[in-house]
Amino acid sequence: MRASHDVRARRAGGANSERRRRQTLIAWLFTAPFVVVFAVFMILPIASSIGFSFTDMTAQDIQSPFNVDFVGFEQYANVLSDPEFQNAAWVTALFVIVGIPVTVALGLGLALALNSGIRRLRPIYRVAFYAPVVTSVVAVSVIWRYILARDGLLNMVLALVGVEGPDWLNSTTWALPSLILMAVWRNTGTLMIIFLAGLQAIPTDVREAAEMDGAGRWRRLRSVTLPLLRPTMLLGSVLISVGYLQFFEEAFVMTQGGPLSSTLSMTYYTFNTFGFGDFAKASAASYIMFVVIAAVSILQFRLLRRST
Amino acid sequence: MQVNRKELAVRYRSTVAALAAIVAATALTGCGRAEEAGGGQAQPSSTVAAKATGKITMWAMGNEGELLPEFVKKFEADNPGVTVDVTAMPWDSAYQKFQTAIAAGNVPDLAMMPGLPVFKDAFAPVPDAIDTSGMYPGSVSTGTIDGKLLEVPWYVDVRALYYRTDLAEKAGWDKPPATWEELQQMAADLQKKAGAKWGIRLPAGTTGSFQSALWMAWSSGAELMNADRSAWTLDTQEFASAFEYLASYFEKGIADPNADTAPAAAVKDFMTGATPMLVAGPFLRGAIAQAGGEKFASMYTTVPLPAGKSSTSFVGGANLVVFKGAKNPDSAWKLVQWLSQADTQAAWYKVSGDLPSIESAWKDPALVSDPTLAAFAEQLKTAKAPPQVVSFDKVGAAGDAAIEQIVKGGKPVSDALRQLQKQADGIGVS
Repeated sequence: MRASHDVRARRAGGANSERRRRQTLIAWLFTAPFVVVFAVFMILPIASSIGFSFTDMTAQDIQSPFNVDFVGFEQYANVLSDPEFQNAAWVTALFVIVGIPVTVALGLGLALALNSGIRRLRPIYRVAFYAPVVTSVVAVSVIWRYILARDGLLNMVLALVGVEGPDWLNSTTWALPSLILMAVWRNTGTLMIIFLAGLQAIPTDVREAAEMDGAGRWRRLRSVTLPLLRPTMLLGSVLISVGYLQFFEEAFVMTQGGPLSSTLSMTYYTFNTFGFGDFAKASAASYIMFVVIAAVSILQFRLLRRST
Repeated sequence: MQVNRKELAVRYRSTVAALAAIVAATALTGCGRAEEAGGGQAQPSSTVAAKATGKITMWAMGNEGELLPEFVKKFEADNPGVTVDVTAMPWDSAYQKFQTAIAAGNVPDLAMMPGLPVFKDAFAPVPDAIDTSGMYPGSVSTGTIDGKLLEVPWYVDVRALYYRTDLAEKAGWDKPPATWEELQQMAADLQKKAGAKWGIRLPAGTTGSFQSALWMAWSSGAELMNADRSAWTLDTQEFASAFEYLASYFEKGIADPNADTAPAAAVKDFMTGATPMLVAGPFLRGAIAQAGGEKFASMYTTVPLPAGKSSTSFVGGANLVVFKGAKNPDSAWKLVQWLSQADTQAAWYKVSGDLPSIESAWKDPALVSDPTLAAFAEQLKTAKAPPQVVSFDKVGAAGDAAIEQIVKGGKPVSDALRQLQKQADGIGVS
């Protein structure tokens, strides 16, 4: 096919290629507004931040950003060898490893319940489970601070059953679990909606066929529904893990990374580094995180795509 | 497929090449720091206009930004033909705004500046005609960067001890605590005898804790840096005794390690009597007056900080800078000169409540007549400020973490200070 195409192209000669060039030019003209905006506001900053991550730039160099020294991978080494970053990586890993399975399981459970179990008041449940997603994190944090305070709602409830709850957000043991709980609560709704859409896309005749073959509820879920839901689960888990790896908002509004850095995530570390004006080091930290997110996403694609 | 694969590959490759070129250009072109200019380069000297003319642009934050436009009308009247254009901005975005303006070379003529030595290269040196000799030395040191005066002190924030006199009386204290032992005893008594939940509010490791604990370090004779400012001196006997003293409050359960750090919470706990003693700046007086009114004024007092080896407080505040990129610098300096005169500062106190940086302004009846101000006037004479070096931000954050490790992590003071010193050495002094 390629051979015949080449022959055709050669035979067509000047007039044809002249027209093609004009078409290309017009196409570029039409896309120019977007391309220019994208180049100026996206590609340029991204490219320059990659560039800066190989220099020793700090906030003192903003007047002459090119007047800095090229230091190779030194900033990357600085970040990776910083005990605070290692701690932040560990905190983020815990958050992701615990948070994602719990969120996916809960989202899936709610979607299954809404899809088949709950018949009455379905819209109300949907709204109730989805509301946390659309609520502003600032408003949410105020409420959750009341819930998790030393003499807050949660500890009052625990006191009713005779348990003396800890000071959740000021305890190095409980602060991170509290934030994971809050993140799960905030993100389950998103996954629920995605899974619900996936469930509703599964044709009913497949389920009916399985039923005819004598498969029970559990068997149908395991052998029919879940395999068919796999692409949706892939989408959902990639979306949620990108968000969880960038875990920041909850810690920022609730604990400021404390106590004793027990909720200081990688994004928070990067944020702090930018705050200190270490632009080069912060850029390096950002790109380390980018690589981690990309790696985790690729891993998920490998794991979940296997049989589709 | 109209486009064959080879062509696609070429296009793809050229896009990649273009991107790589941008990256390379950013990374490499003009790379390499210029040699430090050093003392050899002639400093552009600044001058003050005899009469201000034209348009002066000024940026100011928060309350000051709101009140200045009205206040500078007097200056405009004194200097016919000048207009002062004040842009108010919120504190939260000030740092970013300055950063963007300096990077873009689009700066105002002058601005209110809370230290921020990171921008020192953008500030013009203060002309000799502006006299800072009558200003408090601690305040002048907040404007001195690398040995040069780049910022003119405007208003000061200095810390003193606030306590509830009504509860103190109940606890058997009819005079203020004079020494560290007395302070701790009084805090304990407030808790035991006057029913306060906590004796005193002290920094426990959240942002700003190190700075808030500096009065203890200075009062026990510590210095942050050595005399020629070539090294941090944090792992010293003086720092250790200050931090041991701080830690003892938490060990004895007199201070709350998990206190809510929101400013409103401090006011609330003070007024309800839950924490009837704290170390704070003059702004707390305003917050108390706003929330408690006249009646509450007789229920508390402000006194100088109890002395260790000395009673040395922390001084901060805001300064005034004229940018090197100013379009109307001479007139801007004229405005700075006017704002730093004693009578202007006294008038400004009446408008804003900001305490004057110039000593003679404190003789104004409005300042003398307020009994809660005497303690601040006393502290200002000896108060110190941290060195104006960019790295103090980082050292301060490391200090916050050290305090948190001592108070909440149970780390021995000596270990925490040794680690802090090591971190500070790594951060450097510039």
